[in-house]
Amino acid sequence: MKTVVEKPGATNGGVMIELRNLTKFYGDTKAVDGVSLAVRAGEIFGFIGPNGAGKTTTIRMMGGILAPTSGDILIGGIDMAGDPRTAKKIIGFIPDRPFLYEKLTGVEFLRFSADLYGVEEEAFLDRSARLLKQFSHDEWGNELVEAYSHGMKQRLIIVAALLHEPRVIIVDEPMVGLDPAGIKMVKDILRGLADGGTTIFMSTHTLAVAEDLCDRIGVISRGAVIATGTVRELEAVAETREADLEAVFLRLTREEAR
Amino acid sequence: MKEILTLLKPRLHSFRNSGASAGAIGLRIRVYVFGAIGLAFWVGIFAVFFRVLTYFQGIAGLGDLLANKLLSMVLLTFTTLLIFSSIITVLSKLYLSRDLMLVHSLPVSPRSIFLARWIESTVDSSWMVVVYSLPVFLSYGIVYGAGPFFYVTILLSFAPLCLSVSALSAAVVMSVAVILPAGRIRTLIVAISVVLFVVLLLAFRLMRPEELTNPENFTSVVQYFQSLQTPGSPLLPTTWVYDGIRAALSRSTASSIFHLSLSLSFAGAAVCGATWLSEAIYFRGYSKAQATPGRLFAASPRRPANWRKVLGLLSGPARAFVIKEVRTFFRDQTQWPQLFLIAALVFIYLYNFSVLPLDRSPIRLVYLQNTISFLNMGLAVFVLTAVAARFVFPAVSMEGDAFWIVRAAPVPIRTFLWIKFFVYYLPLLAMAEILIVVTNLFLQVTPFMMVLSTITVFCMVPGVVSMAVGLGAIYPDFKSENPAQAATSFGGLVFMILCTGFIGVVALLEAGPTHAIFMAGMRNANLTLLQWAWTAASFAAAVGLCAAAVFMPMHLGEKRLSDLQ
Repeated sequence: MKTVVEKPGATNGGVMIELRNLTKFYGDTKAVDGVSLAVRAGEIFGFIGPNGAGKTTTIRMMGGILAPTSGDILIGGIDMAGDPRTAKKIIGFIPDRPFLYEKLTGVEFLRFSADLYGVEEEAFLDRSARLLKQFSHDEWGNELVEAYSHGMKQRLIIVAALLHEPRVIIVDEPMVGLDPAGIKMVKDILRGLADGGTTIFMSTHTLAVAEDLCDRIGVISRGAVIATGTVRELEAVAETREADLEAVFLRLTREEAR
Repeated sequence: MKEILTLLKPRLHSFRNSGASAGAIGLRIRVYVFGAIGLAFWVGIFAVFFRVLTYFQGIAGLGDLLANKLLSMVLLTFTTLLIFSSIITVLSKLYLSRDLMLVHSLPVSPRSIFLARWIESTVDSSWMVVVYSLPVFLSYGIVYGAGPFFYVTILLSFAPLCLSVSALSAAVVMSVAVILPAGRIRTLIVAISVVLFVVLLLAFRLMRPEELTNPENFTSVVQYFQSLQTPGSPLLPTTWVYDGIRAALSRSTASSIFHLSLSLSFAGAAVCGATWLSEAIYFRGYSKAQATPGRLFAASPRRPANWRKVLGLLSGPARAFVIKEVRTFFRDQTQWPQLFLIAALVFIYLYNFSVLPLDRSPIRLVYLQNTISFLNMGLAVFVLTAVAARFVFPAVSMEGDAFWIVRAAPVPIRTFLWIKFFVYYLPLLAMAEILIVVTNLFLQVTPFMMVLSTITVFCMVPGVVSMAVGLGAIYPDFKSENPAQAATSFGGLVFMILCTGFIGVVALLEAGPTHAIFMAGMRNANLTLLQWAWTAASFAAAVGLCAAAVFMPMHLGEKRLSDLQ
């Protein structure tokens, strides 16, 4: 079953992320199978699917970490394969299992990241102080990363991804390891960024987060996108009257697995 | 350039911050201990080369030839070490490091990432070779009374050699990474290196170099001189370095500068070539490296039933740990070549005993055979210690991030450690007893020595294995990218020192009584009462020491792991 509930004209002007027939093989295994998507500026797009469906592979290809076997990735109209450097400059990438240099302090890590994104010193000082405070991390900035808990590392990596004020945020499982206060904080911040025009592409297993936060949702199963649309539109596609994403998700992925 | 410097900053900051880290005091102690050992080694190399070169200078006509031959052999050895070390380091830096995903998600070109990683790799793979080559060249300079130009030449020669080797290694690794996943390359490189090493070792051993000391074997002096003067290929960077250094030593400045220029220009070309290649293929190879390599052998579906039959006496959780331990060990493909290496070393060890020229010895044969057999006990246990340092000591650290499973499992830490102990104890005991019995058969020792050495080794092996497991638990490193390297850590060093002490004390305790019993047997005399008491006390002390070596490290290891937060 492949049901796309894309509104007519959605892929026209204002599109910040465009995936065209994206395919990835690992040896003989097809991890991603011809994924095509378009996400508009200021939109929060949720990417959900069962384990091993191809979410992380897709996200890594979008972040320029993995080369697709075929297909195109356009970020803000820039081809990731043709000009990865420029494309990456407008992305804030937050992986699911972020690596941080354990022997750097939080601020040193942020400065390293800012330097590579070309953030000016004055802007760095201003933004890092503001973001660290916003993420309740300001007291820990000068401690070595090795002393951080998992949640604190997750907050730091989000701060690092926001420092250069990216136009696109690609985030894999943003809420993993965060406490309820942290989850609410990240949700508020992402919503605020989207309202300001930042495009957010987010993969998650937390369906409640996707339901609360995302303007549109794409369901991926066995490497292929089987449905995209708002929660209401997906309910219609799944032919379920239960008004929650969990029921829709289970219905769609179960049908796909048959 | 700024981009490359920024990419190098985390490494520099991490180095600076390691002093402020939680384990900074322990780190400092380790640096001092390793520094002292390193310095002693450095001075030792200088002393040996100084002595040898001074001796060579005393041989009229042949001395300079021998010194030159030694220089070319040293350079070849250093270059081989550099190649091996560069390939492994560059492979890890470019394809396997944990921070690569972060670095590749940043807006920097693959060329900048490559150059930053390559610089790190060159420094990491070369510094030790450079440091330990200095005493060699310093001794050449002093013995031959060389001027300042010689020392400048040494520094200028080594830099291009390191850069060339590192750039060529990077080019080879990047080319192979496009074809094979990086995990597979590492296995392949380790396997090829070990096979080459074993072939070289076997070839060298089977040439029987000990025969060179027998004057009857010298048939042609001319042939010998010719072999000493054989020049290296003029196309090899080592030849340019060798010619440059030799010219500087004989004060031929122009010739030295010419060869230095060859080295430098080649290094420049190699670096440019590797950089160009990185733009073309580095990212493709990195992307491929993220795919998990397929398994070489599929597991048999019948295995669980067989395991249950073999391990029927163990409780469920204990059996689960044993099965996990054996499976993970044999499925780790990096272990295979090392097992092959051990088999080759055992073969060479036994072969050495089979060719010992005992009949040419001026000492009485029976006495010599049994003395060697006694010393062989210590040597065999020392070989066992080295094997245990590589395979048993890292066993606890190998749990890595999965150690929480052990802590959460309904199995006490003590049982977990004893399972580790028995998994390694049985094969190592078999290996040590094979070494001892077969070498004793070659030596045709007396039945008393055969029994003594077999029992002694039987008692010492559990001590060594227990110290390896226990100290591995006292000094665990669950965060290491390569726990197998734990053998070279501070804990590994403590293990080696303690084991050497253990072997020495047991040998000392047994030496006197063994000598008394052996000599009494030779003279057909009986031991006095005092000698009996001394013998009983010594052997009891040796057994007591072996028992302490088994239980104390396990107890301390258990305590340490239980106290881990």
